[in-house]
Amino acid sequence: MPLFTAVLIGVAMGIVFGFALEKSRVFEPGIIVGQMQLRNFIMLKVFFTAVATGAVVLAAMHGFGYVKLAPKAALYAADIIGGLILGAGIALAGACPGTVLAQVGAGYRDAIFTLVGGLGGAIAYSYAEPMLSKTFLADGAGKLVLSEMLGIPYWTGALVLAALCTVIVVVLERIFPSAAELGRDVDGDLPPRGTATHELQAVAAE
Amino acid sequence: MLSLTSKSWSPYVAGIVIGLLQIPAFLLIETALGASSSYVTVGGLIASWVDPSILRIDYVAKHVALTGKNWWQVALVAGIAIGAFVSMKLSGARRQTISPIWARALGSASPARRYAVAFAAGFIMLFGARLADGCTSGHGLSGTAQLAVGSMVAVAAMFAGGIATALALLRRT
Repeated sequence: MPLFTAVLIGVAMGIVFGFALEKSRVFEPGIIVGQMQLRNFIMLKVFFTAVATGAVVLAAMHGFGYVKLAPKAALYAADIIGGLILGAGIALAGACPGTVLAQVGAGYRDAIFTLVGGLGGAIAYSYAEPMLSKTFLADGAGKLVLSEMLGIPYWTGALVLAALCTVIVVVLERIFPSAAELGRDVDGDLPPRGTATHELQAVAAE
Repeated sequence: MLSLTSKSWSPYVAGIVIGLLQIPAFLLIETALGASSSYVTVGGLIASWVDPSILRIDYVAKHVALTGKNWWQVALVAGIAIGAFVSMKLSGARRQTISPIWARALGSASPARRYAVAFAAGFIMLFGARLADGCTSGHGLSGTAQLAVGSMVAVAAMFAGGIATALALLRRT
């Protein structure tokens, strides 16, 4: 495919992605920090719904032979250490590498600093990569896929995963109703704890 | 409820829309949704203006190469900013320059302090994402849906690191 076409497809898909991130409010620092403080669960709700949907469409597309899967190799040390560092960054940025662009688009000025810092971090890693790739961080178990390990077809495993995600999301919605998690200005900035639930819902309904 | 002018959609509708984006990603680009590789593509290109020798690092050369996958992802993240901007304009959900939650979470209303934290957070966020070989999108959305064991480990580590950091460093009231 010509580069130009790939870029056009990327922009079109990104606009849809950005719309979904903005409308769901999951790009808000208040929602992401609230998730990490375990008092706002919109981020996990969007995440598990997107994983379930992705698993269903991949189960269908792979099951009928339309696509090849592209799982990343399991590099346990790098996955764990890198994941912990990335998580610390997400909490303090109130963003992840994709949602920070939605924050820039929606007008948060501090997100520009997050973005520039992110480019710096990627450059720093690039300089360190030739050295790091000679250490234990490059050790891994190859492309491990759960369904292959269990000896079941991918589509079966993917549908089970989708079902599990759906159950988690239903339970989350039961315990933490979404209407009470948005806040007055749909930014996840919630009144202090102890405010009665019906007051929060009244705020959300305004 | 799905109006383009409303300020918020259900998280489930948004999650379904995001999950459906795997269809064009796999069918047209033959890859999965991801975001953090694009920082190496753009960062490597910018760094090469100052230090052309960075392009001799295989990792950088591979990411800045003019391939559809590399630049599709750069276009994707740029599109995210455009989509969020248009969505915000249509709904009128204008944002302040800094989210009001930061004054409380950081214990300071100083913009300079927030900008410094944001820069440092962005730096470690991408360093960690590249070390783990993926972020909330590549490992989280795509790797998990493909039942990749490494991605599930990475996602668990992300949330563990994020929750521990938020509880240790960010205030709640």
